[in-house]
Formats: sequence, structure tokens, C-alpha cells
Amino acid sequence: MESEKFAYDNKIVKYFAYATMVWGLVGMLVGLWVAFQFVFPALNFNFPLTTFGRLRPLHTNAVIFAFVGNAIFMGVYYSLQRLCKARMFSDKLSKIHFWGWQLIILCAALTIPLGITTGKEYAELEWPIDILITIIWVVFGWNMFGTIIKRRERHLYVAIWFYIATFVTVAVLHLVNSFELPVSLLKSYSWYAGVQDALVQWWYGHNAVAFFLTTPFLGLMYYFIPKAANRPVYSYRLSIIHFWALIFLYIWAGPHHLLYTALPDWAQSLGVVFSVMLIAPSWGGMINGLLTLRGAWDKVREDVTLKFMVVAVTAYGMATFEGPMLSLKSVNAISHFTDWTIAHVHVGALGWNGFLAFGILYWLLPRMFRTELYSKKLANWHFWLGTLGILFYAIPMYWAGFMQHMMWKEFTEEGLLKYPNFLETVTKLMPMYGARAIGGSMYLVGVIIMTYNLVKTVRAGNFLANEEAEAPALEKVYVEHGKPHWHRWIERRPVQMLILSLVVILIGGIVEMVPTFLIKSNIPTIASVKPYTPLELEGRDIYVREGCYTCHSQMVRPFRFETARYGEYSKAGEFVYDHPFQWGSKRTGPDLHRIGGKYPDSWHYNHMLDPTSMSPGSIMPSYPWLLDDDLDLSLTSKKIKAMTTLGVPYPSGYDAIAVSDLKKQAEQITASLKKDGIETSSDKEIIAVIAYLQRLGKDIKPVAATTTTK
Amino acid sequence: MSALFVLIGISLLVALAFLFAFLWSVRSGQYEDDYTPSVRMLFENQPNENNQQNQK
Amino acid sequence: MLHYPKKTPAELDLTTCYHCGADCEKHPIVYDEKPFCCEGCQLVYDLLKESNLCTYYTLNNAPGNSFKNVKRSGKFNYLDEPVIAEKLVRFRDDKQVHITFYVPKMHCSSCIWLLENLHRLHNGIIHSSVNFLKKEVVVHYRTEGIRLSEIADLLTHVGYEPLINLGDTEQKSPAAAKKKKNYSTALKIGVAGFCFGNIMMLSFPEYFSTGNFYDQAQLKQFFGYLNLVLALPVFFYSASEFFVSAGQAIRQRFLNIDAPIALAILVTFSRSVYEIVSGTGAGYMDSMTGIVFFMLIGRYIQNRTYNSLAFERDYKSYFPVAVSVMDDAENEKSVPVSDLKKGQRIRIRNNEIIPADCVLLSSQTHVDYSFITGESAPVKKQAGDFIYAGARQADGAVDMEVSKPVSQSYLTGLWNNDQASEKEKQRNQSYVDKINKYFTIVVLVLAFGSAATWLFFDPSRSLNAFTAVLIVACPCGLLLTTTFANGNMIRILGKNKLYLKNAAVLEKLARTETVVFDKTGTITSGTQVRFSATMDFPEATVYAAALSAQSAHPLSRKIAKTFKGEKKFSVTHFEEITGQGLKGEIDGNYVILGSRYFVTGTAQTDNSRETLVFLMINGAVAGFFTFENTYRPGLQETLTDLAADYNLHLLSGDQDAEKERLQPLFGKNANLLFGQKPDDKKNYIAELQQQGHNVLMVGDGLNDAGAFMQSDTGIAISDDTNTFSPACDAILDGSSFTRIRSFLDYARAGKKVILVTFAVSLVYNITGLIFATGGTLSPVVAAVLMPLSSVTIVVSSTFFTSFVAWRRGL
Repeated sequence: MESEKFAYDNKIVKYFAYATMVWGLVGMLVGLWVAFQFVFPALNFNFPLTTFGRLRPLHTNAVIFAFVGNAIFMGVYYSLQRLCKARMFSDKLSKIHFWGWQLIILCAALTIPLGITTGKEYAELEWPIDILITIIWVVFGWNMFGTIIKRRERHLYVAIWFYIATFVTVAVLHLVNSFELPVSLLKSYSWYAGVQDALVQWWYGHNAVAFFLTTPFLGLMYYFIPKAANRPVYSYRLSIIHFWALIFLYIWAGPHHLLYTALPDWAQSLGVVFSVMLIAPSWGGMINGLLTLRGAWDKVREDVTLKFMVVAVTAYGMATFEGPMLSLKSVNAISHFTDWTIAHVHVGALGWNGFLAFGILYWLLPRMFRTELYSKKLANWHFWLGTLGILFYAIPMYWAGFMQHMMWKEFTEEGLLKYPNFLETVTKLMPMYGARAIGGSMYLVGVIIMTYNLVKTVRAGNFLANEEAEAPALEKVYVEHGKPHWHRWIERRPVQMLILSLVVILIGGIVEMVPTFLIKSNIPTIASVKPYTPLELEGRDIYVREGCYTCHSQMVRPFRFETARYGEYSKAGEFVYDHPFQWGSKRTGPDLHRIGGKYPDSWHYNHMLDPTSMSPGSIMPSYPWLLDDDLDLSLTSKKIKAMTTLGVPYPSGYDAIAVSDLKKQAEQITASLKKDGIETSSDKEIIAVIAYLQRLGKDIKPVAATTTTK
Repeated sequence: MSALFVLIGISLLVALAFLFAFLWSVRSGQYEDDYTPSVRMLFENQPNENNQQNQK
Repeated sequence: MLHYPKKTPAELDLTTCYHCGADCEKHPIVYDEKPFCCEGCQLVYDLLKESNLCTYYTLNNAPGNSFKNVKRSGKFNYLDEPVIAEKLVRFRDDKQVHITFYVPKMHCSSCIWLLENLHRLHNGIIHSSVNFLKKEVVVHYRTEGIRLSEIADLLTHVGYEPLINLGDTEQKSPAAAKKKKNYSTALKIGVAGFCFGNIMMLSFPEYFSTGNFYDQAQLKQFFGYLNLVLALPVFFYSASEFFVSAGQAIRQRFLNIDAPIALAILVTFSRSVYEIVSGTGAGYMDSMTGIVFFMLIGRYIQNRTYNSLAFERDYKSYFPVAVSVMDDAENEKSVPVSDLKKGQRIRIRNNEIIPADCVLLSSQTHVDYSFITGESAPVKKQAGDFIYAGARQADGAVDMEVSKPVSQSYLTGLWNNDQASEKEKQRNQSYVDKINKYFTIVVLVLAFGSAATWLFFDPSRSLNAFTAVLIVACPCGLLLTTTFANGNMIRILGKNKLYLKNAAVLEKLARTETVVFDKTGTITSGTQVRFSATMDFPEATVYAAALSAQSAHPLSRKIAKTFKGEKKFSVTHFEEITGQGLKGEIDGNYVILGSRYFVTGTAQTDNSRETLVFLMINGAVAGFFTFENTYRPGLQETLTDLAADYNLHLLSGDQDAEKERLQPLFGKNANLLFGQKPDDKKNYIAELQQQGHNVLMVGDGLNDAGAFMQSDTGIAISDDTNTFSPACDAILDGSSFTRIRSFLDYARAGKKVILVTFAVSLVYNITGLIFATGGTLSPVVAAVLMPLSSVTIVVSSTFFTSFVAWRRGL
């Protein structure tokens, strides 16, 4: 096994680095815009593409999949090659992966503002893009495993294990959560319904955070902090234990997003226990990261990359301590649906993901361009601006979160709600939303300074496309061991075959197993709950399109202050026909699950035209186009057919007469609007929206006596 | 709650995959030496230009 | 912005050597404007610079090893003998060869970096990788590219001399055999942990929701069967270790420690299978897998191994691999030591160990028996004298004739006949086994008793009660306590530089009440030299130092080191008569240094064992140097501490010159015996044991190996744990010698902690039994009680052992 000369591919790393910076700026800009929309609703411009409902999903997708995604690939492509002492498996695959991922981001940037969304948080992309994501992800995995197999260093450093875990788990998560029955090229319905859709979505939601925002970044931490500090990791054995514990515990922690909702209570307690157990591995990682710098703290004072990384790991420690606390039922009762969750998310995102990505960029680009960082002073400015930005973001949000909950919860001596009108709880938070916007802008200014700094650095250096290296090839060592038969079989089969068979079993199992379970089990648990009428279904799709779930929840929790404010608490049985479920995770606006029949149709009509007319001081954007655009009826019958395949008990052949039914119901609503003096034609989108809103939560009201089993 | 069958089934499959990965890693001696890799990853391995020159 | 003053690069200080960090006294060799303390360091620097390996110096400053002891070329020629090389090589095919070198001098990341870039120094080497904890380097080299001895020379040349000894050649590949074993423990723990966690997750509905929580029955069955499937690998694979050892013990009609565990696992498993299949309950799979998981971890922690220390070293670990045999045509051929035959003539060079008993052929020489008796003072030997194997040649190369083959030499003889005593050492079982036996019997009685009574009152509950009693009263409490407590104590003692071979040593240490010390090397820390002048001649000692600096003799080196003056004197027409003395002229004065007979012509009068070296300047005796042993610092306090509770003894190999000095230290009722041959030491200890004393032997020489075997526990003192420590139960680093008393007390306190935690686990078991005998043990109670009891016991035993250690300042 002679020692071979080869070169590391830095070009792909440079591409991903640039993409990280570009999409970081774009994503954070949208985030800032959305933050200012809280304070100045006018920033919605009454224009469909820029309302909060559509920009918030754009922000989340851009920051998670574009900024953090590209940062991960930048770090992985750089570190994997050096840890394996081998060039990437194939430059072609790397290119396909890079351009494919940017294409996906572009598609997301187009479809989401246009309202083409599945309505499931952090999985808003429609089914064609989901398929594209799967393909590109497989390309990434193929390239990574290829490099690992032809590595020249026998030992797989712990960071590589984190990358492998990321690939395998995100692949499975994406597959399971993307079960959608396509209705048209740009519209699909989630396969699961109601409570089960919630469970699967948040099993995916939490693990997307776990395996897309944390595990790969832990791998990057284990590579880049020792490299930047030039000292070995504190305890390599601890990092190995940390990895295997983290991988096992993370996968079960999904349910803690659904505490006190209609999920069976044992599943909720399961989520709680496993989230609390998560402290151990997460903090194992944090301690290992921080203690790597013991004895090198003077270096941290001088070297800005280490400053970023130290704050990143500390923020990771804080966020992963706060997470388990938040998953305790009593704490969750306070924090759920409030701004506290937003603060928790941003401490983790801005602190851990943001700062570690910046630290890596500051360390990596000067190295790849063989030059010094353009200006240390600017980098320090970015560091202090960013840190203050996080504080200015998180503290107001904690404050707002508590305030919201306290105001929702407060009762007067007579036992009445102190703030019956939900709007009061919103207008009181304006100063906090303002402070948050300032924090966000400081953070963004920091990022802009970084971009300027790095562009000057890049311009000053000369790029090292292929970094030469040399290492002897790995010889085939025959592990002599006792029982030959079992091992001989595995060792002869190439590893790819093993992975392929795993994937085949996975897909085979899912395709065959899922339909049988889901269809059969959807027997209506509450007799009075009926499927949506075609008009209501169209209205619901508009609800999903406009992203109303980003501000409104549809889940009344079994607390006195919620039943007093909204009405009967939500039962699992009521959501059986909701494809996808719209429980939502944030209440900037009131809960809508018992809105049906609470206000007359005309109230909704005027409210949609201009919310401040009906509730002065509201920060809800106005939706004038609902009143002008005609309802698109081309897909209605197809939608009903799709719903029947998903198990919704429409009478057979109903899809044929669906459109005429829709028109009949629209006529009635237009008539009732006319009675209140509002002239409009019956084929407008607003009619469908009113139909849906008036239907929400009505199925349960008259027949409260029926036995409702969870 | 039949989605649970799907979720638990899938999660168990993934967990089993990682168990096999664990078994493979132990058997192939990945953890024989659990200190030196943390130091080895710090070293650059530039090529050896003057390989011929010190031909003893 | 806050600016911290940048540290200015250290200006060129000429005192510390750039390579090894030693101070270069007055005249450092300056090369490439960097100071070097000796030519050797400068040579290495030059070699590294030439093959651009300068990062060696950037990773850490002055990482190199110094070159004090002169390296003799050709030292590794024997490695080229195919017969020897074959034994050392781990893997060979037509193109390349793999070999592992043990390099004790490796200490930092620069060393790792250099040892992994050997292919830069010589392109015959393909690849080299380091295992830092074991201090081993695996080198892959091309068969025709480079010879084995060249690699060893290269390593020595850059300051990392490999240590190759006879022991390596004996076992073919000890590493492979050992490696296999601990794989399986790691696998078993992994499987047990995986299944335990999953089963606990799936048993959640049983714990937390009362009444009918499942909305569909098949979910309950689905979870039940999933638990069953997950429990199978734990039962058949991870727990196999317990069943096997329990089975073997029962076959010899003896209840060992694993019997109750195996019983508990079996019962829990079978009952759970019954419940799941019959659908009458959810079973106790989580408790079963929990027991196995905790027990395996406990066992793993207990058998901690110290990678770089070897406890089973025997004489083989010190003898050279091969020795050069002179055939009658006076040319040398290196022959493996084990093939030496009687009558062969061998040449032993300076600083080499004589592998076999032989007779001296050359005129005379000095040898030191430090290995055998611990005294490092060199002994003079004349032609025809008999020299024991294990002696180290002290000056110059010399020829000898082998009188006995290696395996029958005196020392190995001493060694082999003591193996027998090792066997009967196992007789006294630790007290845990005793308690265990009673515990199991009581539990069985209770189980059958409650089953019988319930049979009488309400038969349906009898089976339930029977199994419940066995499940709850599982001895995991008892066994976990010892494993975790001992494991933690070994870790703490290790931190304080007392490395124990295994947990059993702890228990034996706790029972010690008599301590026997060996003198030289144990309570002494090297020799010290005093000069008593007989004439006032101002620079007498400086002259002596300058003259003795020229010779390699251990005594002269000692003088040179202790009396080194600032001024440098040049010595002209220097002459060394081996074994007698040195002559030379300094600044016009004629100086002689040597034994009394050599200097003054009068023979040694009194037979006092002190070694004296006389100094004569210009014909007049200026004075003489006396060499005596200095005692370890803090010996006085250590001994008085020990004397309070333990009766002390001293067994020494050399004469009783220092008896009066030692007696007060040891206290009046301690008896000191001198002139003890290794056999006498062994018999004395055996005699003490007859009188019922539990003896701890503290020694250092290879000769103490016999005494170590005989005594209940043996602690070997060593100042450099990497290179030298005879077979023993524990290795104590010289620096923590003064803390022997606190170690012994700690061992006793540990025993108390274990007993206390026993009591705690009994409380758990009793409460559990109350539920169990009542036949109402529901899975929730068992599931809560079982892990709770194990966790509290694990935590309390670890915590208390650390707390006790903290209080004793360990």
C-alpha cells in the first residue's frame, strides 16, 4: 500500500460557503421584515406575497434549510475530506448536490410566497419539491458514504459519525413526514389526519431541529473547535459516549410539542421524560466542547473565531437546558403558544447555529484563500453586535411570553376573564416586539459587516482550489476471528448492498403498511363530527394558503382560562378529517377552533377587508384580494375524490355533485351577507373562507352530551 | 392512534440500523484507541516534496 | 476595542536547549541561531530540518528527549536475525511487514506527530501510527526498503528508543488475544443498553396511565410482543456471561456471585414471557434488561485496566532478546537468549543485562545487581568469578562463559518455584461471596415459603408471589455495591498514583495488619555522596569533579554531578584503570581518584560496607568521598504513622551498616533483619503468616518477586512506572510513598462503605418483599423499585467512596 498523493476539493466548500452567506442574509432579512411587521402592520403592503402568513414560512425555510443547510454542507465537505484523508467520492456528485440544493431553495422562494404550501410547519414545501429534496439528499449521502468507504484513515473520527447520523435520520424523517396525496402539481393533502398528523408532524418537527440543526453542528463543533484552538478535544471517550447516547434519545422526543393537546396523555409523558433525559447527552457535548479550551482561554481572548465558537457552545448549552424545562408539563402550560417558544428557538438558532457558522466562516475562508482575515476589528464588532443582538432578541421575547400567558390567565374576583378581548394581550406587547426588531437588526448588521469583511478577505487572497495531501492507502486487514460463517457473509457483501436493502425495506414497509393502518383506523370517534362541505374545504385550503396557522391556533387546551375564553376544549375526535391538521404553534391572534357562529358573516367579511375596522389596533394584515378574486373551482371534485381515498366518508359519487353543492351553500352565505347590506357575488374566495370559519368547532357544540373518548 | 404504529416502527428501524452500526464499529476496532485520534486530527498532512532527497 | 499586549516572542535565551529543554550550562552549541545542550540534540534538529519536519517544534516547545546516556551503535543488530525478527513481527506478506514497537519515551503531541511521520525520514517506511495510551507505534515498512534494525536505530536516533524485551518474543501476539475479549463486553453493554431503553419506552403506558389507556387492544399487544422481541438478544447474548459462570459454579456445587443474578434474570424473563403471551399482563422485561444492563456496566467499571502498566511482568520483561555469542574465530553472531547453551562464550557490552548465570573470562569488571537485590552500588568481579543472571554490566565490554541456560539460572529458579504458591492464593473468597450465599438461601426459603402459604389460602396467587419474591429480592443491590464502590476506589487510588491490579487487591489491602519493607530502593531513594577533607586544599572537590567527568563509571558520574563547579578545567593525559581509579593532570596538579588500595596502597582495613573513594593531589591524600543511602523524604512520618496501628518489619539484602540509623525510625518493637537472601525473605513472611498475620510486602527489586508471591498483598515501588516494575498486586509511584498509611485506611473505609450500602439495599429488598409476598406486586411497583434501588446504590456507593477519599485528602 504505497503512500498516495491526492488533493482535497476546496472549490465545493467555497461554493457552499458563498451560498451560506447569501442565503443567511436573505433569510435573516425576511426574518427582520417579518419582525417589523409585528410593530408596523403596514409593512404587509396589502399585497398577497408579502403578508406575514407567507413570509414567516419563507423565513423559517430560508434560515433552516438554506442558511444552516449550506453551512452544514460547507463544514462537512471540508472536514470529511480531511478526516478521511481522501478527496470527495466524485466531484460530479458534489456539483449535482450543490446546484440541486440551490434549485430547491429557489423553488421554495417561489412557491411559498405564492401560497403554494402544505401547511405543515418546517415542511411547507409541496410534493414535487419534496421529491427533489429526497433525490438531492440521496446524492449527498452517496457522495459521503463513497468518501468514507475509500478513506485512508481507518478510524472514523466522532464528527463523521455525527454526519452519518444526520444523513440517515433526516432521510427517514423527510420520507415519513412527506406522505402527501397529490391533488394537482402544486397541491396535495397530508396522508395523516388530525391528531396523528400532529404527532407525525412534530415527531418530524422536533427531529428536524435535532438532526438538522444540532447533530451536524455537533459534528462541526468536534472538528472545528479543536482545529481553531489547536488542542485535542477534552475527552474523546466522552464524545463517543455522547454520540451514541444522543442518537438513541433524540429520536423519541417528538411528542413534547403537543403537551396538553388532544394527544393521549401517556404519549405526552413519554415526550416529557425523554426530553428531560436529553439534558445528559446535550450537556455532555457542551462540556466536552468548552473544556477543550481549558488552558487556551487567552487564545480565546485574541482569536475571534474562538470567541464565536465559545458563545455558540454556551448558547447550545442554554437552549438544550431550556428545552427539557419547557417540556415539563407545568412549564409548557405557560410557554405553549406564547413568545417564550420563539425566544427558545432563537437562542438556539442565532446563538448556536448562527455563531458556529460565522466562527467556521471566519476560520475557513482566510485558510482557503491563504491570507489573513481582512480586519480583526470588524470581526470583533460583528461579535459584539451579534451577541447584543441575541440578548435584545431573547429577553424581550421571554418578557412577552410571560406577559401573554399571565394576561390570558388572569381572572377578576367575580371569576370573569380580566382581559376578555384577546386584542388587549397583543397591543400590550408592542414595546417587546419593537425591542425584538432592534435586536434582530443588530444581528443582521453584524452579518452584513461579516459579509463585507469576508468579501475583502477573499478578494485579497488567492484561492487554493485543490489542497495537496499525501497518505498511505488503507490496506485490507483480515480480522481473524472465531466463528467464520456469520462475519464472512457480511464482510464479503459490499456495504452499499447493505444500505440499499435497508432503504428498500423502509420504502416497502411504508408503502404497504401505511394505507392499511390509516384507512381502517379512521372510524369517527365522535358521531356528530361530519366531513367538511366542498365550500368549507375550499375555504380551509385558502386558510392553509394564507398561512393563518402562523398566528392562529386551533387547539383549545383543557384549562379554565381557555375554556372560559374560547369554549369547550378541543377533543381528538374533532380533527379526524383535517388533512393537514392546523393546530398551529403560536397565538399572535386568538385561537379559532370555536370561532364558528361567534360572529355574523358580515363581521368576517369586513374584518378580512380591514381587520382594524372590526377590532381597532389589530396588527393582522388585511386580505382585500379575498374579496376580489374568484374561487377556483377547477380542483374541487378532484379534492373530494382525494379526500375519499384518504378515508373521509363522503357519500359515494359525491365528487360529481360537489360543485353544485358548493354553489348552493355559497348562495346562502351571499344571501345572509346581503341581509346585512353587503353586496358581493357568490363566487368570491371570501365566501369560502367565511363558510370554513363559521364551521370551525361547531360540530361539537349542540351535541355536547355525546360520550367523547379521547 | 394508528400513526403510532408507523412512527414507532420507523423509529425502531432507524434505531436498529444504528445498533448494527454500533456493532460494526466495535467489531472493526474503531474504539481500540480512544485518545490518539483526537490528537491526530490536528495534524496537517501536506505532501512530502523532498521525498527522494533523503533517500538514505 | 480592548487590546491585550501581544506577548513579544521570547528573545533568544541561550540557556534552554531548543530540542530537549534541558539547560545548556555555560557553553550551548549554537546552530541555526538556536541553543542546543548537546551534540545529540543538535543532530536530531538538523535531521528534522533537512526533511522539513519543523512542525515538531511548533506543536510544543522543546518536546524532544535528551541524549544523556550515550547511545551505542549496532545495539539493535540482533533484530536482523530472521529467527528473532519472526517472533516480533505481527504481519508479513511478500511486499510489506507490520511491527509494533513499545516506546515509553513518548509524552506529547509532537512525539505523536513525529512518530507518525517516520515515512518522511526514510522512504523505506510506508506508514506508522501511534496508540498513545499504550505507548505503541505500529510501523508498516517495505521488506526490501529498510531493515528492522535500521528502523530501531532511526527511532533511537530521533530520541524515541524502543524497548524490546524477551517477553515480547514469547507470546506470539498477546494484543490480538486480549483484544478479542473486551470486544464482547462492549458489544454486550451496547445491546443491553439499546434494548433496555427501548423496552422502558414501550412499557411507558404501563407506568403512567391507569385504567384502559389503549384505545385499541392491538396497540397493547403490539407493544407487548415488541418488548418480547427486544428482550431476546439481552437474555441470550448479553446475559450469557452470568449463566455460563453460574452454571460452572453450580457444577462444582458452589454458589458463586453470579448464581443469584442468573436466577433473577431467568425468573423475570420466564414470567414476563408467560404474561405477554397469555395477555394477562405487560411483564417485567424492563426490569430484566435493567438488571443485565446495570450489572454489565458495573463489571466493566470494576475491571478497569491501566493501558500502559503491566502487572504480570516477570524476569522475561527485563532480559535482552538476543546476545552476541563469540565463536572461536572471534567474530560475533547474535543468538536469541533462549537458545543459549552451556559453555558458549558471550560478549556483554556496557549497560546490558547478563541473561544467564555465567563465569567471567575477562580480567575484571563491575556489575550492579539493582534488578535482583535493589542495591545499585556496583560490585567488583574478578576473572573466574560466578555472576548471576540479571546483573547489569557496569563498565566496558567484557566476555563471559555461560554456565547454565537461561531457563535454569538462579533467578528464574527463584521465580518458577513460586508459581505454585499463586494457585492456593485463591482459597480465601472475598466476604461478598459469603454474604451472598446466605442471601440466596434466605430468598429461596422465603420464595418457597410464601408460595406454600398462598397455595394454602388462595392458590391462584402462589405462583405470582413465588416469582415476585425472586424478582424483587434480586441481589443486584449487593453486587452493584461492590462493583461500583471498588471501581470508584481504584479510579481514585489511580489518581493518587497507586495503581491496583484488580478489585480483589482492595479487599486484601483492607485486611492488612503487618507491613514488611525491603530496604534498598524502597525506603532509600538513591545514594548520596559526602566529602570529608583530610587536608585544606581549596578546589579539591572541583578537581575531583573535573577528573571524574571523564569516566562513565557510576561512582565517578555521581561525584561529577554533585561537585560540579562553575569554572571549567581541562584535564590532560587522563588515564582510567577499570575497576581501580582515574589519573590525570589539572592546571599542573597531578590528581588521582580511586579506591583506598589504588590511591594509598593500603588495603581496606575495617570491613564496613561503606564504599569510599579517595582523592590524592600531588602525592598527598586530600580527602575521601563516602557514598551512603539517602532515605525517601518523609520516611520518618510515614513509618511513625504506620507503627501506630501496624507492626512493621524490614528485610534488607545488604549488611546492617545502617541498623542503628533505621531502628529509631521503625520504632522499638519493629524487627529489622539484614543480609536476607530472597529465599530467607520468603520464609520469613511465611513464618509471619503462620503466626496469623496478614502481611503486606512493600519492595522494588526483582528479588522481591518471591516475597510478593508469598505475602497476602505486594506493592512494588517504582520511580518510573513505564520501564520497571516486577510482578505485583499494585504499583506505587515513588512520589506518593508517604501516603501508604492513608491508602490502607482508605481501603478499610471503603469496606465500611460497602457494608453500609449493603444495609441500604437490604432495606429496599425488604420493602419489595413485603409487596412481593403479599402477591400484589404490580409491574409499576417493580418497575419503579428495581431501577430506583440500583440507581441509588450505584450513586451512593460511588459518592461515599469519593466523599471518604476527599475527607482523607486523596
